[in-house]
Amino acid sequence: MFRITWVRHVFILAVLAAAQSLWAADAAQPVRPGEDVAVSTAESGKFGGRLSIALRSEPKTFNPVTLVDGSSREITGRLHADLLHINRASQQTEPALAKSWKVSKDGLTYTVALRHGIRFSDGVPFDADDVVFSFQVYLDEKVHSPQRDLLVVNDKPIVVKKLDQYTVAFQLAQPYAAAERLFDNIAILPKHLLAKAYEQGKIGESWNISAHPAEMAGLGPFRLKEYLPGQRVTLERNPYYWKTNKEKKRLPYLDEMTFLFVPSEDAQIIRFQSGDTDVISRISADNFALLERDQQSRGLHMVDLGPGLEFNFLFFNLNSVVPKSANTLAAKQQVFRQVAFRQAVSAAIDRDAIIKLVYRGRGTALVTQVTPANKLWRNDKIVLQKRSVDRAKDILRRANFTWKPDGTLLSPSGSPVEFTILSSASNAQRTQMATIIQQDLKDIGITVQVVPMEFRALLDRVFQSHDYEAAVLALGGGDVDPNPQMNVWVEDGSNHMWDLGETKPATPWEAEIDSLMKKQLSTLKVADRKKLYDRVQQLVADNLPLICLASPNILVGAKNKVGNFNPSILDPYVLWNSEELFIR
Amino acid sequence: MKLTLPLGLLTLIGIHLLFLFCGYIAPYDEAQQDRMAAFAPPTKVHLARSYPYIYVCAWNAHETDSGYDEDCSQKFAVHLFVNGGDSHLFGVASPGRISLFGTDGLGRDQFSRFLFGARLSLFAGILATFLALLLGTLIGMTAGFYGSFVDSTLMRFAELFLALPWIYLLLAVRAFLPLHLSPIQTFFLLVVIIGAIGWARPARLVRGIVLSGKERNFVLAAKNLGASNGYILRRHILPQVYGVVLAQAALLVPQYVLAEITLSFLGLGVGEPAASLGNLLGELQQYHVISSYWWMFLPGIALLLIFFSYFVMANALQRRLKFIAV
Amino acid sequence: MRFLLNRLIHAIFLLFGVSLLSFLLLSLAPGDYLSEMQLNPQISPETVAALRHQYNLDRPIPVRYSHWVAAAVKGDLGFSFAYNVPVTKLLSSRILNTLLLTIPATILAWIIAIAVGVISAAKQGRWEDQVASAGTTTLLITPDILIALVFLWVALRSGYFPVGGMVSVGFDELTATQKLRDITLHAAIPITILVLSIIPVLIRHVRATMIEALHSPFVRAARAHGIPRSRLLLRHVFPAAANPLVSLFGLSIANLLGVGLITEVVMSWPGMGPLLLESVQARDLYVVIGAILISAFVLQTGIFVSDLLLLACDPRIRKGAR
Repeated sequence: MFRITWVRHVFILAVLAAAQSLWAADAAQPVRPGEDVAVSTAESGKFGGRLSIALRSEPKTFNPVTLVDGSSREITGRLHADLLHINRASQQTEPALAKSWKVSKDGLTYTVALRHGIRFSDGVPFDADDVVFSFQVYLDEKVHSPQRDLLVVNDKPIVVKKLDQYTVAFQLAQPYAAAERLFDNIAILPKHLLAKAYEQGKIGESWNISAHPAEMAGLGPFRLKEYLPGQRVTLERNPYYWKTNKEKKRLPYLDEMTFLFVPSEDAQIIRFQSGDTDVISRISADNFALLERDQQSRGLHMVDLGPGLEFNFLFFNLNSVVPKSANTLAAKQQVFRQVAFRQAVSAAIDRDAIIKLVYRGRGTALVTQVTPANKLWRNDKIVLQKRSVDRAKDILRRANFTWKPDGTLLSPSGSPVEFTILSSASNAQRTQMATIIQQDLKDIGITVQVVPMEFRALLDRVFQSHDYEAAVLALGGGDVDPNPQMNVWVEDGSNHMWDLGETKPATPWEAEIDSLMKKQLSTLKVADRKKLYDRVQQLVADNLPLICLASPNILVGAKNKVGNFNPSILDPYVLWNSEELFIR
Repeated sequence: MKLTLPLGLLTLIGIHLLFLFCGYIAPYDEAQQDRMAAFAPPTKVHLARSYPYIYVCAWNAHETDSGYDEDCSQKFAVHLFVNGGDSHLFGVASPGRISLFGTDGLGRDQFSRFLFGARLSLFAGILATFLALLLGTLIGMTAGFYGSFVDSTLMRFAELFLALPWIYLLLAVRAFLPLHLSPIQTFFLLVVIIGAIGWARPARLVRGIVLSGKERNFVLAAKNLGASNGYILRRHILPQVYGVVLAQAALLVPQYVLAEITLSFLGLGVGEPAASLGNLLGELQQYHVISSYWWMFLPGIALLLIFFSYFVMANALQRRLKFIAV
Repeated sequence: MRFLLNRLIHAIFLLFGVSLLSFLLLSLAPGDYLSEMQLNPQISPETVAALRHQYNLDRPIPVRYSHWVAAAVKGDLGFSFAYNVPVTKLLSSRILNTLLLTIPATILAWIIAIAVGVISAAKQGRWEDQVASAGTTTLLITPDILIALVFLWVALRSGYFPVGGMVSVGFDELTATQKLRDITLHAAIPITILVLSIIPVLIRHVRATMIEALHSPFVRAARAHGIPRSRLLLRHVFPAAANPLVSLFGLSIANLLGVGLITEVVMSWPGMGPLLLESVQARDLYVVIGAILISAFVLQTGIFVSDLLLLACDPRIRKGAR
């Protein structure tokens, strides 16, 4: 029954000083000689306290090997660490569990030196065996880890070898651009806890949400304390964490971190405003404005980080295999396949209205898939032309489209042009976009239906049955590098959504995008890759397989009392430096 | 008291005509956006002296403030019986816009959306009621008239539908049907769902009446005189059912309107850009809307009028029915 | 006894039918829980297919249903894809939260309804009655969605009541009395909304049955005997009016799970409502069926209880049942 709040009941601690050994496991361990700790450069803060944050949904698992959903990732991201990490602020890779790494001249071998003397959150030392074991698990086909797809280059998995207790070598089958970025988010697992489950083929079921905290351990700044279904997850400090502050005191600053389950954005705003939660991210511009209005009086600090990596786009169904039941679809596809038609649609869309009405000015109109946030990779030569109904009509006229006297657009074969846009019913912003597009296209004589549908049903149509005409979707990016988007642009990619499941490109420009993307993957020099990817962007802007619309700004906030609050435009926006966060 | 029924009926007819001709009465189309005036409060209508004319000022959006200011440099008269392209009951000349209930996030006129939305919700309710009563009467009469095996099968089936809280069933049924539909199709789909779920209760009522009705002397007499089943059902049983069905209708319509509102409110009803009362109320679930834009409540308040007239009607009908029965 | 047994068998068949119906409907729906994964660029289609196999989603419906029924009989309602826990576990905590709202609300509503109903029946036509009936009419024509929204607005504006959720963040560290206070504060607004949406129907029924009883011959006789008015109302009229109210009370029990759905969604109370809505949209098949089944079960229980109560307090029915 003794639940002690550190801040409030310090005097009780004094009384119980004799029993201090009982708490020794929970207090941060002093740094031992020979332990290769990393030193945080952030401002030194105050130890103690708790940070709470709301999650949109409950975690589905605590298992970093099998997780697929955002909430689970948000939590397990605090519990585990990776070898090389992409610093969310600088967007560059930095050593994490690896002290350093070397790349061989041919770019095929990565030799990684691990930190000495660091321990998992249960006190068991970490070494190369854990790394080898972890990659064995991720690469095992039977485990079905989503991370496997990234670690398999050209159908050949990465080979992992232990060189000595603190050195591991990774061998690639072919040169792979920015391969060190692959290691980000690959959590290193404790072999001593999971080896048995793995041998029994039960790794997928271990560490599920009903697992006991004592069965789990990780190398992240926190460890699991308690999970109350329907209410919250509480994390406590990992007393063995491998990072210290400038004064050589072991991080994290926070004693605890609480994730509350608050299903809707609106409810999250209410709880943030009433002081129940300390930080907030992923909010709409409307709510941001509301919070910004009284940030002074409520002691809040709201930040508009500018454009992120998410891009929203409209696309047409160009699949060559469509269901027979959708009998009108094939005829409509004749229109959709014309580049001129897509260009006219793009020219008629009022992207500024989307920015103004949907994002209340906190967003950027897009011409390609690369947002302005991605300064490194963006092709600045492509400029967005202003909306022009006349230009759109010109393009159509030249492509032999005509108009009925009442203004209805007729295709070259003489049938009226109309189509349905699907949007996600749970995403009010994308539905609003579709509604704006609907109104815009009326001006060039196209009748558009907007059908907000449940997100899963929508995806089912796009990915499985191909029974749709057009849809508005968004793709985000965890990274600025083009590699994670390979499967969007290569011809047989699983996210090549306008034309799925085909191996042969239907048009020359699709073939070119395909080969450019594959080429950049094995090109090692950044400048050369940039040239290739610039061309991809140009092809996308010209041929519009995805008609890119807009990118929302990343809007976040925290209470003033949260120290070292340093949000990033990369996911996870506010918690990436959770070990450095502290309560003033 | 005698006047309640005809008065209620008149009000009800009036309301329905209002919504039936919403295309004329509403100054704008439900989907028409004014991108310069998102979330504008209701237009202030100024009276110039005692003239029957009313003047209105154009709105100016401020970059700094979320509010709107009146631009008093130019006045726009509100005209009745506008005839320009489409004809409307009232309207203002072009750059000016009159929105009696304010506008929503896309700058659409809430008053027009209320009228169109009420039309959709009301007629969904009425059609669903019609369907439910039709099914209910048919099934109830069959069950009551034929009795025995037919009766028990049909009534067990009815109980299956009554065994579920309607809102749960509504959600479940809506979930399995395709969502990829135009607003018109969704509308009819909702009607069918609500009606198809609702037949059980009227069926039980009708069955009861038929059961007692067929034992009445004149029915028995007709039977003995060799009247066919169809004849008896049509000529003797059906008239006894009418009153009950009518009273049920007045009760069910608001209930089914509410069902449509609930589904749309939860995001499972008619989609953008069509308006429905549920959609309009659903906007209020957004925190920034409910805390900043009070006029978004106006459709909800106006909706009470509809429910009130149905309530009066149902009460009067029931009283009358009791009177006849006594 | 035969009457009760009959009802029981009936209820079991009904539950079976409900499960079959809902299973069919939901299985025919397009898309399943795993569809969303496909948008994640890091997951291959093979992985999704393998997961689909693991969850039996690639098997024909009859096979899935028979598996499910076999488990359901043992009290295992299946597994939630979204939460990765047994449905029974998931639902039981949510049902508890829902009952935490609906039971106090129902009790409160009945107390108020009886008080108001009896008073307005006793003062029929006087100003007390007219005020009460104006109030009930207003509430009756106001959809509960609107009531909930208005109270949400009031709560947000006033700032006196916490909005959203059931407990505050530091709930564990509170003492027992503080915990009670915390939950009460959180529940105050949702319960108020619920009471207001339940109450008008109850008041009208109480009033109507009371008036009917007041006009019955035995009351006139009793009045002629000079029994005081208050004693007459409470000792003679009210018990006579109780009969129809008992079945209404059974219906109240039956509605315990369903009545709070809208309120829970609007006030983000972690009960059955938000879970059901989420599961319907996520196609979390077994959760939806479990929820429907349990609510059907509660409904049947409510009807059963009202039968029992009726049996207990009305000698005429008792006689008929034997």
